[in-house]
Amino acid sequence: MNPRNNKDCRKQQKDNQVEDNRCGRREFLKKAAKVAALGSAAMVTGGAAGWKVSGEEVRLRWEEYLKGYYRLMTQKEKDETVRRLERLAKLKRGVDIQMSNKEPVEGVLFGYAFNVTRCEGFMECVDACVKENNLDRKSHTQYIRIFEMEHGQMLPEQGNGKYYHEVPVPNHYYMGVQCFHCENAPCVKACPTKATWQEPDGIVVVDYDWCIGCRYCMAACPYWGRRFNWNEPYVLNKEMTKKQHYLGNRMRSRGQMEKCTFCIQRSREGKLPACVDACPTGARVFGNLLDPKSEIRFVLKHKKVYRLKEDLGTDPKFWYFID
Amino acid sequence: MKTPIHKIFFFGILSTVMIVFSWQHSYAGQEGVQYKAKNAIAPFDDEKKMDSVPSLPDDSIMVTPKYQGGAFWTLTRKDKVERFKCTQCHNPEKNNTEQTVPTAHGDIILIHGGEEPLSCFTCHKEDERDFLVTEKGLKVDLDHSYQLCTQCHFRQAKDWVGGAHGKRVSYWAGKRVVKNCTACHNPHSPRFKKRWPKTYSLPLK
Repeated sequence: MNPRNNKDCRKQQKDNQVEDNRCGRREFLKKAAKVAALGSAAMVTGGAAGWKVSGEEVRLRWEEYLKGYYRLMTQKEKDETVRRLERLAKLKRGVDIQMSNKEPVEGVLFGYAFNVTRCEGFMECVDACVKENNLDRKSHTQYIRIFEMEHGQMLPEQGNGKYYHEVPVPNHYYMGVQCFHCENAPCVKACPTKATWQEPDGIVVVDYDWCIGCRYCMAACPYWGRRFNWNEPYVLNKEMTKKQHYLGNRMRSRGQMEKCTFCIQRSREGKLPACVDACPTGARVFGNLLDPKSEIRFVLKHKKVYRLKEDLGTDPKFWYFID
Repeated sequence: MKTPIHKIFFFGILSTVMIVFSWQHSYAGQEGVQYKAKNAIAPFDDEKKMDSVPSLPDDSIMVTPKYQGGAFWTLTRKDKVERFKCTQCHNPEKNNTEQTVPTAHGDIILIHGGEEPLSCFTCHKEDERDFLVTEKGLKVDLDHSYQLCTQCHFRQAKDWVGGAHGKRVSYWAGKRVVKNCTACHNPHSPRFKKRWPKTYSLPLK
């Protein structure tokens, strides 16, 4: 409500000037602030089990609610929010999680290669990804999709992404699609709040708490690499991956965008992403593009590689190769 | 007749300059990730850069060939074979156990080699059962079984050494430890079996 347009209010102001019963812009803002404070307090505290929330939880939630943008946080603030989230997970769900905010390693640029000749469509990677990244079990969210393609087909749109039969089928090949972590990422450009960006090690990440859920990035991505939380993600405590990263597999909430992060919580520790680790056929190669001795560099040098929709100029760090 | 100076400028100097700059421009446009990767030739020292380099697993053994980064390792096999040493049974003394062959190796199905199938003694050394043997008759340790596969599958072996075939064990950083051929392929029937996928996908839209 704009107090300037409120004619009644103006009239009142004239009449009540003597009685000191003011009704002006300042008064309106004061009232509005009170109402907003009450409302947001109810919103922040009301989400969890009724009104039975401890004082500590209310305080932590408030601090979480008012925290800043991850990229502008100092290291101290980053450590604080990580500790708060760990404590909140303990209070809200009763699970002990270990969250990190590990920074990228210098001289590392992650690259990924997928062998279309080797993949046989067993979908072990999809399963490992869902478990590692605490993806919503209710809506069956998956970061990776495997398409069953006939020979000659090149685009996943032409393939069958929802097959469920014994694999591999003769005269077909399997093509895995996930976030390609483009160097020139269209999703990053589309985000109105800069909640998504590319880290120096090449991983495109999302600050879940800075995301407003407009899904512009989802529309901008030509590879369908992004997923939206239509509902509060549902993961059982015992199935939850406890080793988490602030920009990676920590629990998202409703209305937030999420995506593959090359398992940032694993890859920054020197481990392989869950999909690479789970692949039974060795079709997935992961490594440091700036390391001349790495496997990914060997693939780029010695194999026939191509990238999906290379003509769009998105410059993805995900190559397909054939034996 | 003398050529006017503006004609010399337009057709001579300007066109040359434009050609030179267009060539430069077309190369400047290649500053992608591929260009970045190609130009990164400085060696990456995992131990210095990474603050927690994984140590070499206890059950790893150095592989004879070298990859582009030097020596690499693979996981051992001998200590995981339940009834090693083989000579416990395969010795000159007579074994009196009933139905020895089906109880000992009844689970082995040999589908390897296509038209000319392999026999047990293509790879296993007949007179020294604790070892494997190459076509040339060289004795090979069970941990180095890749040396046998290399004899026929040399293309795959080349990729395995380089990193385009096979898998690393858990870590992309640190010392390179890869899985042996027999970690993924059953040496007796190496082709992957047809099976149901682990999970399924819902349509996106």
